[in-house]
Amino acid sequence: MGIEVPQMNILQIIATIFFGGSSILTIVTQGLYIIGLWKIFEKSDIKGWWALLPWFREYQLGKCAGKEPEGRAIGITAFLVCVTEIAGSFIKNEYVILFVAVFEIMAGIINIVYSIQVYTGLIEVYNVRKRWLWLWILAEPIPALIWGFSDKYKPSWKAGEFRDNAVTHVKGGDVADMGEGLTVNLDKREVADGLFQKKTLLKDIHMNIKPGRLVMLLGGSGAGKTTYVNAINGYEKADAKVMLNGRNVYKEYAKMQYECGFVPQSDLMRGKDTVLHTLNDYAQMRLPSNFTSKDRKDRVEEALTIFGLGPVRNSMVSQLSGGQRKRLSIAMEFLSNPSLLILDEPDSGVDGVMAKELFKQMRKVADTGRIVIAITHTPDRVIDMFDDVIILAKDSDRTGRLAFYGTVDECRKFFGKERMEDIVKCINRPEEGGDGHADEFIIKYAQEVQHV
Amino acid sequence: MSEAVMTQTRQRKLHYRGRGSQVLIYLGKLLRGFVYQNDWKVMPMAALIAGLVSMVVRRDFFLTMEGTIKGAFALTCVAIWNGCFNSIQVVCRERDIIKREHRSGLHISAYIFAHMIYQAGLCLLQTIITLYVCKMTGMQFPDGKALFTPWLIVDIGITVFLITYSSDMLSLWVSCITRSTTTAMTVMPFILIFQLVFSGGIFTLPQWAVKVSAVSISNYGLKCITSQADYNSLPLVTGWDSIMKVEKQELSTTITLGEVMDFLQREDLPPVHDFRAREYQIPTMEKVFAAFNIDPNSNIGGTSFTFNELLALADASQAAAAEDPKAGTEIAPADEQPATFKIGQVIDTLANITEEQGLRDESYNFSTNVGQLLDLIGREKAETYVKTMTADANRKAFYAHTRDNVLTYWMPMCLFIAAFAILSVIFLEFVDKDKR
Repeated sequence: MGIEVPQMNILQIIATIFFGGSSILTIVTQGLYIIGLWKIFEKSDIKGWWALLPWFREYQLGKCAGKEPEGRAIGITAFLVCVTEIAGSFIKNEYVILFVAVFEIMAGIINIVYSIQVYTGLIEVYNVRKRWLWLWILAEPIPALIWGFSDKYKPSWKAGEFRDNAVTHVKGGDVADMGEGLTVNLDKREVADGLFQKKTLLKDIHMNIKPGRLVMLLGGSGAGKTTYVNAINGYEKADAKVMLNGRNVYKEYAKMQYECGFVPQSDLMRGKDTVLHTLNDYAQMRLPSNFTSKDRKDRVEEALTIFGLGPVRNSMVSQLSGGQRKRLSIAMEFLSNPSLLILDEPDSGVDGVMAKELFKQMRKVADTGRIVIAITHTPDRVIDMFDDVIILAKDSDRTGRLAFYGTVDECRKFFGKERMEDIVKCINRPEEGGDGHADEFIIKYAQEVQHV
Repeated sequence: MSEAVMTQTRQRKLHYRGRGSQVLIYLGKLLRGFVYQNDWKVMPMAALIAGLVSMVVRRDFFLTMEGTIKGAFALTCVAIWNGCFNSIQVVCRERDIIKREHRSGLHISAYIFAHMIYQAGLCLLQTIITLYVCKMTGMQFPDGKALFTPWLIVDIGITVFLITYSSDMLSLWVSCITRSTTTAMTVMPFILIFQLVFSGGIFTLPQWAVKVSAVSISNYGLKCITSQADYNSLPLVTGWDSIMKVEKQELSTTITLGEVMDFLQREDLPPVHDFRAREYQIPTMEKVFAAFNIDPNSNIGGTSFTFNELLALADASQAAAAEDPKAGTEIAPADEQPATFKIGQVIDTLANITEEQGLRDESYNFSTNVGQLLDLIGREKAETYVKTMTADANRKAFYAHTRDNVLTYWMPMCLFIAAFAILSVIFLEFVDKDKR
């Protein structure tokens, strides 16, 4: 017995697209839901007419709930459900109908799951009782209308916030390449944000770091620290010009990647390999091929000695302590003798004594003429060993900006605070537990740089 | 010392390790991983799986069509299982490490090629173990059926290796796409189900699914092993087994005499033909009397004649007829009578009599059981007939025992290996795009 699905007419197709179905009941309930959404969007500073656009309204609702990816997933799955439903009515082959039906069921299930996540997010944003979730699941037009029209329900956070503050237009100035050291002229670093938008992660960062400097990179979470280090070593290219010892990092990336060492935050090494094998393999990868076997061995021995890994050379990496693993991770990058060594939170998961020991070694590495940049979240215990500080802050457009670059003493003077942690607190946003003075210092620093 | 070398090196044009050297570095890592990272555990697992499967399928493999198709399917599943589990986690479990190494100069193609070499070795060992265990558990690989080497087990070994290796590469690709072992293991059952359903051997596929099966490894693997096992020359036993299961089944029907006669005259049906060709010796009357427990001196029902008197009369009549050929019935002299008769002759005579006397439409209730019918025809011949007929109907060109056929199945598997390796490289090149 064949499966037959009645073919839709044009009105039914339009109704299915805009309301998710063509029955009178569906059109009425969805119409009410759209009206409610219009008001909810306006409360979140999003244009209300988005509620009229099928699939995009789900995405915007996700934004209102602070669940943008989930909202996007709902929009996509709602689109797929709609397409399969319409296509299903035109297909005659029963196998294809079955396939489409299975696909539609899958998309429907995903849609429901993500919808629950978005409703939960909305409940948190509107700070109401969790029992509202049931109403959202079972009869979404009702809560949409109540929350949309009642002044009692207000979002604690607005998705569509857009500011055009003074900080948006503040710009530092390009710095000239000194021929040695690291010169960064980063205009912006953008990533795709949804289908039609771009999000600026970093903007307007210009600096010149001389060889032999040990630099601390500070900033609150989301300020763009990792984005910045990835941009300066060419791993994630930005709209920027980065020169290392007179060579363009972006243009000569294939060669320059050996000049830039990056030690990731987590210890990314194979646990079931010995320390010596790990270093040997890395040395073969990182050192030029005209290195003889003896030179390579010497280099590995040197790294083992400098980082105190000699006694555990034949141990499995998985058997090392946290500190030893961290040192091995740094030693791996040290092997190629890079001009620029970047460390992403090398002291995470390491006690104070070990952290100091680690940075002492970094100090020694910097003293050999290399630039060492380290990100850390516990700056005050090791700040004495550093030469310079870079402070990145999230401005009110939520873009990472340069709030300060200079020596440690200049930094203290600039912010009027002794402790680095206080400086970070001062620039962090209020919802992150900070004082929210980022814009102020970004403008101040930009003006100072321009003045200079 | 090395500082000086570094400086000198920097002044010259720098060259770093190319793909070839990196393949060797990673091959070394993988071989160490085989020992230290417990990758060797796939070997005893392969033996265990092969043992379990072989216990079930060994008896009829290479002996009957059903046994062969089931055996080929089981062997294909074992190979796919081994291949998939070899590599489903290998890349995704160290994705972050690869990401770090990639930014430090690792060539993804070198990494994947190292895996290809290593996994080829692993698959080869698993194939050897699997077939060895099958052989040990009593699976018989018949002599004289090999197409490429002198031994069928080696021919089948090549196929099993190709199935294992192509599945391995498929999983490697999946491992390159997925970002965590959890996701990879979630995807895994779907791959196995797809291979199982679209193998095309066990399940009858609708037309659209036949096209889909063109991209399933199991489809080629199963067909290849089945061809190598010379499926088309084997008997199909399911039909005969089914008949034997209903041996005691009572059959009751109404049939006309004409229908019976028509059936018994059908020379085109081999069992009927054989039945009709059966020869019997004409018994002496003494044997006939003895067989029916008749006293030759007793009267013939209600008459004053005894059987012996009747026989004497018949003899006299026969003698008279011999003297005067025109007189009496045309009965051959006693010494010229044929010593044997065929059932077919009797049937034809009876059919003539039935027709002449207008008895064809006479209907009879016919009651018997399947076993008795088979006895009537002759069990052995019926069995041979049923098996041959059903086997004829099940012979397929794509199971033909030819070198061309086998090569036709090996080729797509080789292409799968290459395609999945290339896809692995392409997808893993995007490792840097992973969200932090």
